[in-house]
Formats: sequence, C-alpha cells, structure tokens
Amino acid sequence: MDCATSPAPATAAVLRTLALVGHPNVGKSVLFHRLTGTYVTVSNYPGTTVEVSRATPRFDREASLLDTPGVLALPSRSDDERATMRALLHEDMRTLIQVGDAKNLRRTLNLTALLAELGVPMVMALNMTDEAKARGVTVDAEALAEALGVPVVATVATGGEGVAALTEAIGRAAVPAPLLRYDAVLERDIARVEELISTHCPHPRLAARGLAVLAIGRDPEVDAWLATQPGSGPVRSVLAELTATIGRDSLPARLARERGGAAEALARTVTRQAAGKDRTLSMLLGRVAVHRLWGWPMLLGVLYLVYLFVGDFGASTLVGLLEEDFFGEVLNPAVTDFVTRHVSTPWLADLIVGEYGLWTMGMTYALALILPIVTTFFLAFGVLEDSGYFSRLSVIANRMFAAIGLNGRAVLPMVLGLGCVTMATLTTRILHTPRERLITIYLMALAIPCSAQLGVVLGLLGGISFGATVIWVLAIVGVLLFTGWLASKVVPGRRVPLVTELPPMRMPVLGNVLKKTGGRLKWYLIEVIPLFLIGTLIMFGLDRSGALPWIIEAGEPLVVGWLGLPPEASAAFVMGFLRRDFGASGLFALQSELSMIQAVVGMVTITLFVPCIASLMMIIKEQGMKVAALMLAMIIPTAFLIGGLLNHGLRLIF
Amino acid sequence: MNATHSKPIPQPHERIRLIGTPVGRMVRIDDFGDEIDPLQREQLHAYGLSAAHAVKVLQQQPMTVLLCEHVELAIEHAVSRHIWVQPA
Repeated sequence: MDCATSPAPATAAVLRTLALVGHPNVGKSVLFHRLTGTYVTVSNYPGTTVEVSRATPRFDREASLLDTPGVLALPSRSDDERATMRALLHEDMRTLIQVGDAKNLRRTLNLTALLAELGVPMVMALNMTDEAKARGVTVDAEALAEALGVPVVATVATGGEGVAALTEAIGRAAVPAPLLRYDAVLERDIARVEELISTHCPHPRLAARGLAVLAIGRDPEVDAWLATQPGSGPVRSVLAELTATIGRDSLPARLARERGGAAEALARTVTRQAAGKDRTLSMLLGRVAVHRLWGWPMLLGVLYLVYLFVGDFGASTLVGLLEEDFFGEVLNPAVTDFVTRHVSTPWLADLIVGEYGLWTMGMTYALALILPIVTTFFLAFGVLEDSGYFSRLSVIANRMFAAIGLNGRAVLPMVLGLGCVTMATLTTRILHTPRERLITIYLMALAIPCSAQLGVVLGLLGGISFGATVIWVLAIVGVLLFTGWLASKVVPGRRVPLVTELPPMRMPVLGNVLKKTGGRLKWYLIEVIPLFLIGTLIMFGLDRSGALPWIIEAGEPLVVGWLGLPPEASAAFVMGFLRRDFGASGLFALQSELSMIQAVVGMVTITLFVPCIASLMMIIKEQGMKVAALMLAMIIPTAFLIGGLLNHGLRLIF
Repeated sequence: MNATHSKPIPQPHERIRLIGTPVGRMVRIDDFGDEIDPLQREQLHAYGLSAAHAVKVLQQQPMTVLLCEHVELAIEHAVSRHIWVQPA
C-alpha cells in the first residue's frame, strides 16, 4: 500500500507547523491532498490514517502541514489518538485547522472545546456540508465564527468547494474563545495544575490551561511529556492527588461531560434542522449491510463478486493472457534467445534466463503472475473501502470476533491485511487495548493471506475445483478462529465491547480508487520486485552450490512424508521464507504435478507459513523483537502441523 | 430489524434500557450504568451520547444501531444493556 506517512524532515524544527485535526473520517486526508498536492490514502472508514503525514502546503512554501490521525476525543486513549497528541506537543504548532463534520456539529464542537484551551490559533473547516444539506442540516457559519472567535469555512473537500476560502482564512487564524467554564471544583483543580505548569514547566506553544485539562484527564502523552520536564515534580504530585472520583464519574468523564454540554448548547444556537431525505439508497444499503439476516447474503454477494473479479478475471483470465500467452510464448523466448546469443558465460546466462533465472523466474513471477492479481485486488478493495462497507463488516463480524476475544473493530485491520499484512499491522493502532493489538497482529501473521498470495491461491485452487477453494477457506478460517480462541484464553486482559460509528455508504469516486490503486501498485513494484529478485538469486545460489538438492532431500520426511507433497515443493517453502506469495508462486509453478489434495495442503501450509520479511519488520517495530520471535516460533510449527493433519484427513475422505 | 415491535410502548418518564427500546423509537439518554467501563463512558460521551440527548433506535440485532445527529452508531448489547433511556 502506498506510504501514508513521512518522517519529520531535518528542517522540521525551523518550519512553521500547521496541522489538520479532527474526528476520524471527516475528510482531513482529502483536505491535506487539496492543500498540499500530496496524496495520502483516503478511505471511507475511521482509522485510515494512523500516523502523522507531513508535506509543504501550496499556500506557504515555508511551512509544514501535518495530517494527523482522527481523534474521537481528547485526552488521547488509542495509539492513533496518541500520535495526534504527540504532534500537538512536540511540533512547533502555529495554526490548527480543525476539520469538522457539518452534519454533526455538536460532536465537532466537543473537540473544539478542548482544542480552544490549547491557546493555538485556529481555523475551522466545516466539511461535508453537502451531506449535511442532504439531511436538512444548515449551520450558520458566521454565527459560529463569531461565537468561537475563529474563521469558520464551509467545505466539501471531495469536490474542492471552499478550499480557496479556507486557504485565505488560515491567514486570519485566531486563538478561539473558551467554550466553557467547568464547575467550580473542576475549575479549582485546573487552576492549580495550570499555575504549576506555568511556573515550573511551561510549554513553548501550548497554553498551560489546556495542558492542565489534558493532564487531569489522564492523557498518557501529556503524562509522558511532563515526565521529561525537569521542573514537573510539583505538577505530577498534585496530579497524583487528583484521582478521587466524585459521584459516579471519574475526573476525565466529568470533564468530557461538561465539554459535551457546552458543545450541545452552542450547536443548538447555530444549527437549523429542516426536513431532510428520510430514505436514500445510501441509507437503505447501509441498513441492509448490518441487518441481522440480510447482512449475510449481502456479504456473500460481495465476496462472490470479489472472487469473480480477482480470482476469475484477474488470476485466470489476465494471468493466462500475461503469463502463458505473452511471457510464455513471446517475451521469455525472445529474452532467452537474446541472452543466450549475447552472454557467452553459461552460468551468467543461466542466472538471467535459467530455471532460477532473474528474468524467467523473478521478473516473470512478479510481473506476469502477481501483478495482474494484485491490480484487480487493489481495484476491488479500493471500491469497497470507499463505499463505507468495511465499517459495517465490523457489526456483522462482531459476534464471531467475540469468540476470539476481540470485537468487530478488529475486522478492519484483518480485511486490510488481505491487501497487505505489513500496512495492516500498523493499522492495528486503531484498536483500543494492547491485548487486542497483540492477538490481531498474531492472527494476521498466521492466517491472513495478502492480496498477492490470495490471488495465487485462488488462481491455483479455482483452476482445480470450487470445492478445493472451499476446503482452503474452511481450513484457514478454522485455524484463525481456533488459534484466536486459544490466544484469547492465554493473553491476559478483558475483551472490550464494540461501540463504533458507521460512516454513510457512498458511491466510490473512480479517480480516488484509481489513485489509490496506482499508489499501492507503485509500492508493490518497489517492495516486491527487489525481494523476488533477491529470492531468485538465493535459489540460484542454492541450486548451483548443490544446497537446494540437499534441502529438498532433507525436507523430504516433512514435505513428502508428512505433507504428502512432491519433493520439489521444499523449494517453494524455502522461497516462502522471503515472501509467502513467492512461495505460493513456487507451488503454482508445480500445479501440473499436484493432485487436488496436494494443492489444498500446499496452499494451506504456505498460507499459514512465516509472514513476509516486511511484515516481520513491522511486527518487530510494533511489538518488539521478543514478541515477534515468539510469534515466529509458534507460526512455523503450526503451519506444518495443520498442513499434515489436513493431508491425512483429506486422504481419509477422498 | 423490528423484532422488538411487540414490546409495550414506554410511557413518558419511564426509564428503560436502550437494549429494550423498540426499533424506530426516539429516546433520550438518561444515564449510563456503573457496569460501563469509565473509558467506554468517555467514548460514549465523545460520540455524542450524553444525558438528555435524543437518539433514534434503528436496529437492535445483531447490535443496537442508533441515529445520533445524522451519525449512525453501532453499540454492542453488553453496553446498550447498561444505557438507560426515556421516551423523547
């Protein structure tokens, strides 16, 4: 997938920083693209952006604009919210551009109430005014601007409406007027902490009062920032005293409740609600998608369409045209002929066009076999993620995920994992607890095939029979559920019930889908081709040195005896260490030698086999070396155990 | 979707659980039960569910789905069971 993040440039410290902040799924990334020309992944579900992205805005080449992950509320709680809070604390923040949802002003103002306390000049982009209008909601932007004391601009970011006005308004950004005074007891506590912060550890940009509210609200990033400040001792002592719960609410909940009240009062005065459309196709589809009965046929229908497009059209028709007709009949014979005529050193010619040749194996696998599959997958995936369907999957899947100690929110990274497990591992930051993240990452590393691998699997098994594909699906889902159930018993902590927003179903915009697909394919080509070439080089080296025949022989008891595969399949598992789809491609190349049982067993084993190197690096980054090593130590034996059991089980039946 | 239609219509000021509210009815949030975790309580506030706010119940199965100011929220029964509401 395309990289949605960029590291802070070396010059970041001297650049003025502006940041887009707001709730999840309100259009921050679309505005970021409009204001900078830099494309970051944009989708119709909360949590698309999990890290801060940075680019130079078109309107000020001396500044730096940040696209921050959506925050449901501050103080921050989830990892993506913490990333936003870190940006607020550690960047030279000159202007905040709050992106709000015009059809839900109350929620927008709830966040404004806290941002206003930070004392940073602000502008509000009241986005999605088209959707608000369709629902009969009108916001008096002038009255709102007057009440807040900051410019408020109505925008429709997807269509570019209001973007010029917003750019102009940024120059008039002002520190917002406070939306509320908390009750007397809370105000006394806030004032106490505020004074100590002002005296002992003032922040260069953020107001002490805002930091006090966040610190009392137990924001972990503010806690961490305070811990690094030399004079913060007295502040932290006072904060430690302020843990008492008054009534039934904790301090953070009371602060949030009071902000909610103030936001509601202001929203009422500036919003008008006329009769909107009661029933639109989008609403109807949205309801059907989460209906307890109709949701399932809809899911099966969606899966079947994806199968037809990716498994049938991509993996059969396009791969047939490219691999067999173009590469097999035209390109590879021409390249082979050219190399053998011009390269006189036999081993070098073999390295390029031999059995384990860089062109005949590495490039052919990457371009003729995998590229058409991932292209069709990314297209289908882009349409689905922009439609808003993925969020609804979390409702349908919630009960099943409850069985494995997770809630339906985990379906999002898992579905994203079908595109690329590496990026999906990063997306687990939208999950609320470390336990949920650990279980989800483990299950993805074990049993979620990436698009390239999925395409190869569908291409091979679909060519054998529909039944073979069904057995593979049942085996993988079975392993996912059983392992998840076991993990939920072993990993300490409790399950968090699901509360989630369902964004409106929208017609995907072709341009956005194509742009995302293009970005993802670029990523694919950059990441996969070098790995495929390195893999081919390793295979060539092993073959020439005589190690490959030895490995094949050594692996025979496991591969031939236990898994029931031909001896050459050992080579596919060696390739699978680099990338699972590379390994799957190795099995695909053996398809004429495989029976139905062998094909299913081989594909199940390689699906459960080690995650690719990039995913492994991401797991190490997110969970640490120890956890990653432990995962690997469990995944490899599990893959061979399940493969062998399946082999012997299927042989009893067929 | 409307499996709960046969339930009696609550009278004004009668406090009922969100999970037991008939589909299609407008209700006002009254209170959150102690069973709801403080962090989840904050999350509910952040979504706009706070006392006296009116919401429309769209669905009760497989989860409670509400319309809260033009935004649909799905709430698992383990939580909606402990949200108390009054007829709007």
